[in-house]
Amino acid sequence: MNADVELDTRGLNCPLPILKAKKSISAMAAGQVLRITATDPGSVKDMESFCKQTGNELVQSSSEGGEFVFLLKKH
Amino acid sequence: MSKRLKANERRASILAVAKVLFADKGYNGVAVDEIARRLGVSPAVLYQHFPSKEALYEAVLNQISAERESYIEAALNGPDDFGSVLERMALVFADNLSSDSDYLRMEMQAALEDAPLARHLFENRWKSFTDFIEFNIKELQQKGKLAAVNPQIASLFYQGALREALYAKIILKTPRYQALALPELIKQITRLFMQGIEYKNK
Repeated sequence: MNADVELDTRGLNCPLPILKAKKSISAMAAGQVLRITATDPGSVKDMESFCKQTGNELVQSSSEGGEFVFLLKKH
Repeated sequence: MSKRLKANERRASILAVAKVLFADKGYNGVAVDEIARRLGVSPAVLYQHFPSKEALYEAVLNQISAERESYIEAALNGPDDFGSVLERMALVFADNLSSDSDYLRMEMQAALEDAPLARHLFENRWKSFTDFIEFNIKELQQKGKLAAVNPQIASLFYQGALREALYAKIILKTPRYQALALPELIKQITRLFMQGIEYKNK
């Protein structure tokens, strides 16, 4: 899935990745996809909670080489 | 009865006892024999689960890292200005550490005897604050909404005040601050910090 917006939160600890994601999503149109890269292991759980709370869809949550990638679809 | 514990229960009980002892005496002040004695088992049982004291210590640290707090609620529920979110983050942190004073003790021990560990603990627990403060100050400065304070010094300042408040209330139970409950102390420290950096929520 191609992302419409990219957000790099590598090196940042919670809650900044979430707050940045919130800001990015608020500027996007419904159906658009946000791709977030992170290094904070806590972000896996945080992104799930974030999507549940905000009603957006967590399309993908994966990790590779100490980095985490999330695809969020705005509803 | 202690001999009948399942492997995972035994491992959990070893970690719990080791955490308390490391917190009280530091890494160098605790011998494997002492941990075993406290558990009522032989050192051999302990070595079945952890090959060395270093491995046990590392497992305790990994457990502490896994216990770190989530600031989702603090970040999303309530006013989203810098000061309000920072206050809610500090309250979550204080609440968690109030129920786990061994963490703070380990941190104090680490500061004295183990610089890499102290850095590890910073990366896992305190960095959320320094990241959040530095980012917000820089952003507000870019928008011309904040005076020219050094973001790094400001975050160090807040971290120091918060840590001292936690030590005073959770570990030292300092009589001087007895009349102030920890949440109220944190709210006042946060308010003072915001005044100090000349932040105006408008």
